[in-house]
Amino acid sequence: MQDRNRSKKETVDALHAVAGEMHDRMMRGEPPRMTLPVRSKTNIAFDEKLNVYKYGKKKTIRDATSLGSAHQLLRALHVTEFMEDMIESEKSSTLREMYYISEGWGYGKFGSQNESNNLAEDLEIVTGCLREDFKLRPEEDGARIIGNLTFRERNRRGEWMRINCRDDVGDSGYGVPYNVESEKLELLEHDIDFMMAIETGGMFDRLVENGFDELARCGLIHLKGQPARSTRRVMKRINEEWGVPIVVFTDADPWSFRIFASIAYGAIKTAHISEYLATPSAVYLGIESGDIEAYELPSDELTSRDIEALKAEKSDPRFQTQEWIDQIDLMLKLGKKAEQQSLAKYGLDFVTDTYLPEKLQQKLGLVIG
Amino acid sequence: MDKAKRIANKQKQISISEFFEKNKHFLGFDTHQRAVITAVKEAVDNSLDACEEGRILPEIHVEIKRLEGGRLELVTQDNGPGIPRDSIANVFGKFLLGSRFHAIRQTRGQQGIGITGVVMYAQLTTGSTTTVLSKIETESTAVRVDLALDTKNNRALKSNEERIPLEEWFEESGMESHHGLRIRTVMAAKYQRGRQSVHQYLRMTSIVNPHATIRLRVIGKNGEIIDEGEWVRTTNKLPRPVVEIRPHPHGMQFGTLQRMLKNTKERNVKSFLTKEFEKVSPLVSKKILGHAEIDEKRRPSGLSVEGIQDLLSAFMAVKIQAPPTDCLSPIEELLIKKGLEKAIDSRYAATVTRAPTVSQGNPFQVEVGLVFGGDLPSDGSVEVLRFANRVPLMYQQGGCLLTKAIESINWRPYGLEQTGGKGVPKGPAAILVHLASTNVQFTSEAKEAVADNEEVHAELRRALFAVGRGLQSHRKRVGQRQKSRDKFDLINKILPEIASKSSSMLGRPKPDLSPIITKIMNAVFCEEETIWNAKEKLAICSIKIYNYTARARAYTIIAKWPEGEKISIIHESMKGQRETIGLRKWRLDAINPGKMAEITFSVGGLGQGDWKEAEVFFRGSGEIIGCEKLDEVLVKDMKRQESLKEMVEDFEEELENHHTPNENVGHVNQISDQVEDFGGDFSKWVRQGDE
Repeated sequence: MQDRNRSKKETVDALHAVAGEMHDRMMRGEPPRMTLPVRSKTNIAFDEKLNVYKYGKKKTIRDATSLGSAHQLLRALHVTEFMEDMIESEKSSTLREMYYISEGWGYGKFGSQNESNNLAEDLEIVTGCLREDFKLRPEEDGARIIGNLTFRERNRRGEWMRINCRDDVGDSGYGVPYNVESEKLELLEHDIDFMMAIETGGMFDRLVENGFDELARCGLIHLKGQPARSTRRVMKRINEEWGVPIVVFTDADPWSFRIFASIAYGAIKTAHISEYLATPSAVYLGIESGDIEAYELPSDELTSRDIEALKAEKSDPRFQTQEWIDQIDLMLKLGKKAEQQSLAKYGLDFVTDTYLPEKLQQKLGLVIG
Repeated sequence: MDKAKRIANKQKQISISEFFEKNKHFLGFDTHQRAVITAVKEAVDNSLDACEEGRILPEIHVEIKRLEGGRLELVTQDNGPGIPRDSIANVFGKFLLGSRFHAIRQTRGQQGIGITGVVMYAQLTTGSTTTVLSKIETESTAVRVDLALDTKNNRALKSNEERIPLEEWFEESGMESHHGLRIRTVMAAKYQRGRQSVHQYLRMTSIVNPHATIRLRVIGKNGEIIDEGEWVRTTNKLPRPVVEIRPHPHGMQFGTLQRMLKNTKERNVKSFLTKEFEKVSPLVSKKILGHAEIDEKRRPSGLSVEGIQDLLSAFMAVKIQAPPTDCLSPIEELLIKKGLEKAIDSRYAATVTRAPTVSQGNPFQVEVGLVFGGDLPSDGSVEVLRFANRVPLMYQQGGCLLTKAIESINWRPYGLEQTGGKGVPKGPAAILVHLASTNVQFTSEAKEAVADNEEVHAELRRALFAVGRGLQSHRKRVGQRQKSRDKFDLINKILPEIASKSSSMLGRPKPDLSPIITKIMNAVFCEEETIWNAKEKLAICSIKIYNYTARARAYTIIAKWPEGEKISIIHESMKGQRETIGLRKWRLDAINPGKMAEITFSVGGLGQGDWKEAEVFFRGSGEIIGCEKLDEVLVKDMKRQESLKEMVEDFEEELENHHTPNENVGHVNQISDQVEDFGGDFSKWVRQGDE
């Protein structure tokens, strides 16, 4: 996202514009406000040009006529001041550190870390800057990668290191840093046919132990649940710069569908930067609703929360293709969900010997082994 | 001997102890856990009744000790009038003593077998005698005696009777009182804690007897304290002395009437009716006998079975006024509130005492209390506290009319959870229900559940609705208060910071906040706070009206305060006027935009915690957040009721001076019933929506 990086001055000016909107209104005798796009599934739309989902035109006005919104405005000012300080002093802080620092902000204090994360995103959206510009780091874990891929990463001392994700790493793989832009990470070379993103650590370890990366000539990336921005960004770069297809292997439940959507179509929370994070050509490999019956997988009943989530997906613009409607309806009809590891019912090698080869042939026309 | 006689003889031979053995389930001695509760109950009820009769503020100590062999030692001590030496054997030795045949009034003692049952139970289960130590004020020494029961002859056997010097009485009783009673007994029994325990019984007793101080101590075999409780009196006001009344014709049943006719000293049926019944004047008596076609001169004992039947039908056919209701002793709203507050820590308490009314010739009165919030657990069912004539009912909750009345109400609109809109509601609340009556009908001899009665049920529902509405408006007030508090935080704390931060960050001038504040608030707010000034013993209420609109406002502010005997307004920050009973009004002329007007007034004659929240109303246009528009129709109604009540009181006074015949008194009572009917339900004032 190098091209989007702002200079210090640009960033500070953009932040001041937010404070300026509040101040201007107060000078006119009006309650201060901040204007933001609505950040929910009701306000994301497919962008034909970018091939991803972006925020639509719906705006929400956060003005100081309710206590909650007034708190938000004051917090935004505190955060702005804090960011300015960091930009000046060339320091950076994690989102969590900012949350703790807010303890000293009196009425501007955050109630939870979720609030501080959301506000950082709000400011990204209204200023058009990225949190990297604000010198804010996530403390979320980046993903782990194993496979025959070679990166060049600039370390803390500013030296470039060459790392092969098969030969130069241990069993836990290569840890993806939070900044994966070209100033920090370069994609050198690879010898893989596709990249497989895996939802759970247990399955990632199973595939590593079974040597699936070499067997199938692929890279394995562990998503750790809902993938972090850097994880999505690195997949996007692998896909774009190397032309390597991305396949996604998750549990069969409503939350897994959302993980895939955030990789392929763009996440609702980060729709302002979908074009940098989403990989539109990513393929959902499984586990599909139909697999629960086709493979007679051990399954659990859908909980009421699961059912709610599936119903919500039916009105999510990202799931309006026939394939997704069928997936969701079938899961609702079965009333069941299944974990990746339920494949172990047929032995530890079943996933690598049978299930994945079948799926890869079916979805990508790839023949393994 | 013929068969019938043999059976009769045999029946006579059944001793009292056998009777006790056979019936201990409904005498309350069926289990070892229950036996100790019943024993405490009999002793404590007697103490409370005796203190009430003697106009003494009760101090009652209960001590229970665990002994070897599944036995308990029970000691109860009171500061009551004591029992004269000669009466001790009678009081403790006879079953069912003093059945108050002609005297009808509300007493606790109606409900049990009596203290004799305790003596009997102790004797049957452990062979122990019961020791009674009694001190009466007029004697300089106390008397101590051991009692056993002669079960064949239904009398007490005394032993070891002795006189005790005063100092020894003080030491043993642990009290400084010159009168009192101490009972010590040993019985097979088991002390347990929980919903059905001595502790819970005393806690409930203390709620409905706020004038009593009750202490409990339970000691284990090694002298360790297992359980303790102390409920200190919250008022020095004794319950109103109850007046004995005669039976009312509407409550008569065949057997009772037959017995009364047989036992009366009156020579003819006409005077029998006027002398032995309430509300039967010579004229009414004449009408009854006329209707029954019975000669006025007939001897009462000479009436045939048919004659008695005719008399009973005539009772229902002839118009007879309702019996007087001053024989009842309600706890009264303020005292229930105090009682509840002493036992349960809560945020909100509402109580309603309904006016007395009559069912089938029996006067009755219902009272309901509801506490909400605070430390009360919010996950389970609400605690139901049932009382009949101030006696806690601890068993058979489900089958009791008092519970059924609670279950019949949809509590959800009032802010309590309830599955399907019926059943005992859930939430952080406790509901107290008290039925006072000269004749509480129970479902069984165990006297733990009140039997169904439509009129009582209807009265209970009215009272429950009233506390429910009170809770609803309390919750609404809390909600509104939070809303205005939020707004005040917003304009006083957050907005100034937004202004100073943004202007300093941008290096621009500070904006003037007042037009912004008006735009944000755009309303008039009312803040009410009532605090207790312990030094001056005053409840001080402050009402602040903030005008955050763009134009000047004028209102009349009306506050509800607990006006009553000896309760009056001591100071007020501006001159107010009395609107009607319990309502005071102040005129606020022109509160300018952005300005605040404050009214403070203090009320004397209350105790701490008696009054914590003033309801505030207003007259004027628009809305005030935190304050409701006064319903003029209801105020008018109240004023009319008040003047009517005054009229009745004047009239009653006049009557007392002139001994007017019965008929007229009855007429006044009827008016007075109507007036009292309004009592307590202030939530009716609140106007529902706009008309």
